[in-house]
Amino acid sequence: MKALVVDDSAVMRKVLIGALSRAKITDVDQATDGVEAVSATEATDYDLVLMDWNMPNMLGIDAVRTIRANGKSMPIIMVTTEAEKSRVIDALKAGAQNYVIKPFEPAAIVNKIQAVLAKANG
Amino acid sequence: MQVDYINPFIESTCELFTTMLSSEAQRGTISLASPEANPREVMALIGLSGMARGIVAISFPVTTALGMVNRLLGSDTKVVDDVVSDAIAEFVNIIAGSAKARLSGNDRPPIDLSLPTVVRGSNYTVDYPSGSTWIEVPFTSDLGPFTLRVTFEMKSET
Repeated sequence: MKALVVDDSAVMRKVLIGALSRAKITDVDQATDGVEAVSATEATDYDLVLMDWNMPNMLGIDAVRTIRANGKSMPIIMVTTEAEKSRVIDALKAGAQNYVIKPFEPAAIVNKIQAVLAKANG
Repeated sequence: MQVDYINPFIESTCELFTTMLSSEAQRGTISLASPEANPREVMALIGLSGMARGIVAISFPVTTALGMVNRLLGSDTKVVDDVVSDAIAEFVNIIAGSAKARLSGNDRPPIDLSLPTVVRGSNYTVDYPSGSTWIEVPFTSDLGPFTLRVTFEMKSET
Protein backbone atom coordinates (compact mmCIF):
# COMPACT_ATOMS: atom_id res chain seq x y z
CA MET A 1 0.00 0.00 0.00
CA LYS A 2 1.56 3.28 -1.14
CA ALA A 3 0.19 6.79 -0.56
CA LEU A 4 0.97 10.33 -1.69
CA VAL A 5 0.52 13.30 0.66
CA VAL A 6 0.15 16.66 -1.10
CA ASP A 7 0.31 19.81 1.04
CA ASP A 8 2.46 22.94 0.92
CA SER A 9 2.75 22.81 4.71
CA ALA A 10 5.53 20.48 5.86
CA VAL A 11 3.90 20.30 9.27
CA MET A 12 0.56 19.25 7.82
CA ARG A 13 2.30 16.62 5.69
CA LYS A 14 3.87 15.29 8.88
CA VAL A 15 0.47 15.19 10.60
CA LEU A 16 -1.06 13.36 7.64
CA ILE A 17 1.82 10.91 7.41
CA GLY A 18 1.18 10.16 11.08
CA ALA A 19 -2.49 9.51 10.33
CA LEU A 20 -1.56 7.21 7.45
CA SER A 21 0.79 5.33 9.75
CA ARG A 22 -2.06 4.79 12.19
CA ALA A 23 -4.03 3.41 9.23
CA LYS A 24 -1.11 0.97 8.62
CA ILE A 25 0.20 2.84 5.56
CA THR A 26 3.89 3.60 5.99
CA ASP A 27 5.08 3.78 2.37
CA VAL A 28 4.38 7.46 1.71
CA ASP A 29 5.67 9.98 -0.82
CA GLN A 30 5.25 13.73 -0.43
CA ALA A 31 4.46 16.58 -2.83
CA THR A 32 4.33 20.28 -1.99
CA ASP A 33 1.94 21.52 -4.68
CA GLY A 34 -0.37 20.38 -7.44
CA VAL A 35 2.34 20.31 -10.09
CA GLU A 36 4.48 17.94 -8.03
CA ALA A 37 1.41 15.84 -7.30
CA VAL A 38 0.59 15.39 -10.98
CA SER A 39 4.20 14.47 -11.74
CA ALA A 40 4.31 11.99 -8.86
CA THR A 41 1.11 10.26 -9.95
CA GLU A 42 2.41 9.98 -13.50
CA ALA A 43 5.55 8.26 -12.22
CA THR A 44 4.06 6.03 -9.53
CA ASP A 45 0.83 4.08 -9.06
CA TYR A 46 -0.49 5.14 -5.66
CA ASP A 47 -3.24 3.43 -3.71
CA LEU A 48 -4.33 6.67 -2.09
CA VAL A 49 -3.71 10.42 -2.42
CA LEU A 50 -4.37 13.00 0.32
CA MET A 51 -4.69 16.39 -1.39
CA ASP A 52 -4.70 19.93 0.02
CA TRP A 53 -6.62 22.58 -1.93
CA ASN A 54 -4.90 25.93 -1.40
CA MET A 55 -1.30 25.53 -2.64
CA PRO A 56 1.11 27.54 -4.81
CA ASN A 57 1.73 26.75 -8.51
CA MET A 58 -1.33 24.53 -8.93
CA LEU A 59 -4.38 24.26 -6.69
CA GLY A 60 -5.31 20.84 -5.38
CA ILE A 61 -8.63 20.88 -7.21
CA ASP A 62 -6.82 21.45 -10.52
CA ALA A 63 -4.38 18.66 -9.68
CA VAL A 64 -7.31 16.29 -9.10
CA ARG A 65 -8.79 17.22 -12.48
CA THR A 66 -5.44 16.68 -14.19
CA ILE A 67 -4.81 13.35 -12.46
CA ARG A 68 -8.23 12.10 -13.55
CA ALA A 69 -7.68 13.45 -17.09
CA ASN A 70 -4.48 11.40 -17.14
CA GLY A 71 -6.56 8.29 -16.52
CA LYS A 72 -5.54 7.66 -12.92
CA SER A 73 -8.28 6.20 -10.75
CA MET A 74 -6.76 5.87 -7.27
CA PRO A 75 -8.86 7.22 -4.38
CA ILE A 76 -8.19 10.89 -3.61
CA ILE A 77 -9.21 12.49 -0.33
CA MET A 78 -9.23 16.28 -0.22
CA VAL A 79 -7.85 17.50 3.13
CA THR A 80 -8.48 21.21 3.21
CA THR A 81 -9.75 24.30 4.96
CA GLU A 82 -12.14 24.89 2.05
CA ALA A 83 -15.32 23.96 3.89
CA GLU A 84 -18.04 25.58 1.79
CA LYS A 85 -20.58 23.16 0.36
CA SER A 86 -19.90 24.39 -3.18
CA ARG A 87 -16.20 23.57 -2.75
CA VAL A 88 -17.01 20.04 -1.59
CA ILE A 89 -19.27 19.54 -4.60
CA ASP A 90 -16.59 20.91 -6.94
CA ALA A 91 -14.03 18.49 -5.49
CA LEU A 92 -16.30 15.48 -5.82
CA LYS A 93 -17.20 16.48 -9.39
CA ALA A 94 -13.49 16.79 -10.17
CA GLY A 95 -12.95 13.23 -9.06
CA ALA A 96 -12.15 13.25 -5.35
CA GLN A 97 -13.64 10.33 -3.43
CA ASN A 98 -13.96 12.03 -0.09
CA TYR A 99 -13.37 15.27 1.77
CA VAL A 100 -11.85 16.09 5.16
CA ILE A 101 -12.14 19.62 6.49
CA LYS A 102 -9.37 21.12 8.60
CA PRO A 103 -9.24 21.29 11.55
CA PHE A 104 -9.82 17.61 12.14
CA GLU A 105 -9.43 15.25 15.06
CA PRO A 106 -6.67 12.70 14.36
CA ALA A 107 -9.03 9.75 14.76
CA ALA A 108 -11.47 11.25 12.27
CA ILE A 109 -9.03 11.29 9.39
CA VAL A 110 -7.75 7.80 10.19
CA ASN A 111 -11.34 6.54 10.03
CA LYS A 112 -11.90 8.37 6.74
CA ILE A 113 -8.75 6.87 5.21
CA GLN A 114 -9.78 3.38 6.26
CA ALA A 115 -13.32 3.86 4.94
CA VAL A 116 -12.15 5.12 1.56
CA LEU A 117 -9.67 2.27 1.16
CA ALA A 118 -12.25 -0.32 2.24
CA LYS A 119 -14.65 1.00 -0.38
CA ALA A 120 -11.95 1.09 -3.06
CA ASN A 121 -10.82 -2.44 -2.30
CA GLY A 122 -14.24 -3.87 -1.51
CA MET B 1 -16.27 45.93 9.88
CA GLN B 2 -19.35 44.70 11.70
CA VAL B 3 -18.35 43.36 15.09
CA ASP B 4 -20.58 40.31 14.53
CA TYR B 5 -18.21 39.18 11.80
CA ILE B 6 -15.56 38.43 14.41
CA ASN B 7 -17.59 35.56 15.87
CA PRO B 8 -16.83 32.96 13.14
CA PHE B 9 -13.12 33.68 13.60
CA ILE B 10 -13.40 33.20 17.36
CA GLU B 11 -15.33 29.96 16.88
CA SER B 12 -12.78 28.69 14.36
CA THR B 13 -9.89 29.50 16.69
CA CYS B 14 -11.53 27.60 19.54
CA GLU B 15 -12.28 24.68 17.21
CA LEU B 16 -8.63 24.49 16.10
CA PHE B 17 -7.48 24.26 19.70
CA THR B 18 -10.07 21.64 20.59
CA THR B 19 -9.63 19.35 17.60
CA MET B 20 -5.94 19.52 16.76
CA LEU B 21 -4.22 20.75 19.93
CA SER B 22 -6.23 18.99 22.65
CA SER B 23 -6.52 22.34 24.35
CA GLU B 24 -9.09 25.01 25.05
CA ALA B 25 -8.74 28.64 24.04
CA GLN B 26 -10.64 31.16 26.13
CA ARG B 27 -11.26 34.54 24.60
CA GLY B 28 -10.91 37.82 26.43
CA THR B 29 -12.54 41.15 25.76
CA ILE B 30 -13.02 42.18 22.13
CA SER B 31 -11.62 45.62 21.29
CA LEU B 32 -10.28 47.73 18.46
CA ALA B 33 -6.71 46.68 17.64
CA SER B 34 -3.69 48.88 18.22
CA PRO B 35 -0.44 48.38 16.28
CA GLU B 36 1.60 48.30 19.48
CA ALA B 37 -0.40 45.46 21.03
CA ASN B 38 1.47 42.48 22.40
CA PRO B 39 2.19 39.57 22.38
CA ARG B 40 3.51 39.53 18.84
CA GLU B 41 6.92 37.83 18.57
CA VAL B 42 5.50 35.54 15.90
CA MET B 43 2.72 36.78 13.64
CA ALA B 44 0.89 34.96 10.86
CA LEU B 45 -1.27 36.80 8.33
CA ILE B 46 -3.58 35.62 5.58
CA GLY B 47 -5.70 37.59 3.12
CA LEU B 48 -9.35 37.09 2.16
CA SER B 49 -10.73 38.07 -1.24
CA GLY B 50 -13.68 37.45 -3.50
CA MET B 51 -17.07 37.99 -1.87
CA ALA B 52 -15.23 39.47 1.09
CA ARG B 53 -11.97 41.24 1.59
CA GLY B 54 -9.86 41.40 4.68
CA ILE B 55 -6.91 40.10 6.61
CA VAL B 56 -6.70 37.66 9.51
CA ALA B 57 -3.65 37.91 11.77
CA ILE B 58 -2.67 35.83 14.77
CA SER B 59 0.23 36.86 16.95
CA PHE B 60 1.97 34.86 19.64
CA PRO B 61 4.80 35.10 22.11
CA VAL B 62 7.47 32.54 21.25
CA THR B 63 6.47 30.28 24.14
CA THR B 64 2.91 29.94 22.87
CA ALA B 65 4.01 29.30 19.30
CA LEU B 66 6.41 26.58 20.46
CA GLY B 67 3.79 25.10 22.77
CA MET B 68 1.24 24.83 19.97
CA VAL B 69 3.65 23.25 17.51
CA ASN B 70 5.09 20.83 20.06
CA ARG B 71 1.57 19.78 21.05
CA LEU B 72 0.58 19.22 17.41
CA LEU B 73 3.68 17.23 16.48
CA GLY B 74 4.56 15.68 19.84
CA SER B 75 7.95 17.36 19.50
CA ASP B 76 10.20 19.33 21.85
CA THR B 77 11.35 22.23 19.68
CA LYS B 78 13.04 25.02 21.66
CA VAL B 79 13.44 27.72 19.01
CA VAL B 80 11.26 29.23 16.30
CA ASP B 81 12.56 27.59 13.15
CA ASP B 82 11.09 26.94 9.71
CA VAL B 83 8.96 24.08 11.06
CA VAL B 84 7.40 26.36 13.67
CA SER B 85 6.78 29.08 11.08
CA ASP B 86 5.22 26.52 8.77
CA ALA B 87 2.91 25.32 11.51
CA ILE B 88 1.88 28.83 12.51
CA ALA B 89 1.09 29.59 8.87
CA GLU B 90 -1.07 26.50 8.73
CA PHE B 91 -2.87 27.50 11.92
CA VAL B 92 -3.91 30.87 10.47
CA ASN B 93 -4.87 29.13 7.23
CA ILE B 94 -7.13 26.75 9.14
CA ILE B 95 -8.72 29.51 11.23
CA ALA B 96 -9.39 31.74 8.22
CA GLY B 97 -10.60 28.82 6.11
CA SER B 98 -13.01 27.59 8.70
CA ALA B 99 -14.29 31.09 9.45
CA LYS B 100 -14.87 31.98 5.82
CA ALA B 101 -17.02 28.89 5.38
CA ARG B 102 -19.11 29.96 8.35
CA LEU B 103 -19.43 33.44 6.85
CA SER B 104 -20.28 32.25 3.35
CA GLY B 105 -22.83 29.67 4.43
CA ASN B 106 -24.26 27.62 1.60
CA ASP B 107 -25.88 30.43 -0.36
CA ARG B 108 -22.95 32.71 -1.14
CA PRO B 109 -19.97 32.18 -3.42
CA PRO B 110 -16.89 30.97 -1.51
CA ILE B 111 -14.39 33.50 -0.20
CA ASP B 112 -10.83 32.97 -1.44
CA LEU B 113 -7.75 32.74 0.78
CA SER B 114 -4.27 33.99 0.00
CA LEU B 115 -1.24 31.96 0.96
CA PRO B 116 -0.25 32.76 4.57
CA THR B 117 2.73 34.87 5.62
CA VAL B 118 4.67 34.59 8.90
CA VAL B 119 6.64 37.42 10.51
CA ARG B 120 9.19 36.61 13.23
CA GLY B 121 10.76 39.02 15.71
CA SER B 122 9.41 41.83 17.85
CA ASN B 123 11.16 44.92 16.50
CA TYR B 124 8.64 45.97 13.91
CA THR B 125 5.51 48.08 13.59
CA VAL B 126 2.35 47.00 11.82
CA ASP B 127 0.81 49.84 9.81
CA TYR B 128 -2.74 48.95 8.95
CA PRO B 129 -4.30 50.27 5.73
CA SER B 130 -5.95 53.63 6.29
CA GLY B 131 -9.67 53.38 6.77
CA SER B 132 -9.58 49.77 7.90
CA THR B 133 -10.99 48.79 11.25
CA TRP B 134 -9.27 45.94 13.06
CA ILE B 135 -10.97 43.97 15.77
CA GLU B 136 -8.68 42.38 18.33
CA VAL B 137 -9.45 39.37 20.50
CA PRO B 138 -6.99 38.24 23.18
CA PHE B 139 -7.00 34.55 24.06
CA THR B 140 -5.57 32.49 26.86
CA SER B 141 -4.91 28.75 26.79
CA ASP B 142 -2.82 26.16 28.60
CA LEU B 143 -0.32 26.64 25.75
CA GLY B 144 -0.03 30.35 26.48
CA PRO B 145 -1.66 33.62 25.40
CA PHE B 146 -2.12 34.83 21.85
CA THR B 147 -4.07 37.47 19.96
CA LEU B 148 -6.40 37.26 16.97
CA ARG B 149 -6.89 40.34 14.81
CA VAL B 150 -9.29 40.62 11.91
CA THR B 151 -10.29 43.30 9.44
CA PHE B 152 -13.07 42.15 7.21
CA GLU B 153 -15.82 43.43 4.94
CA MET B 154 -18.43 41.52 2.99
CA LYS B 155 -18.75 42.78 -0.57
CA SER B 156 -22.30 44.03 -0.04
CA GLU B 157 -20.95 46.46 2.56
CA THR B 158 -18.76 48.32 0.09
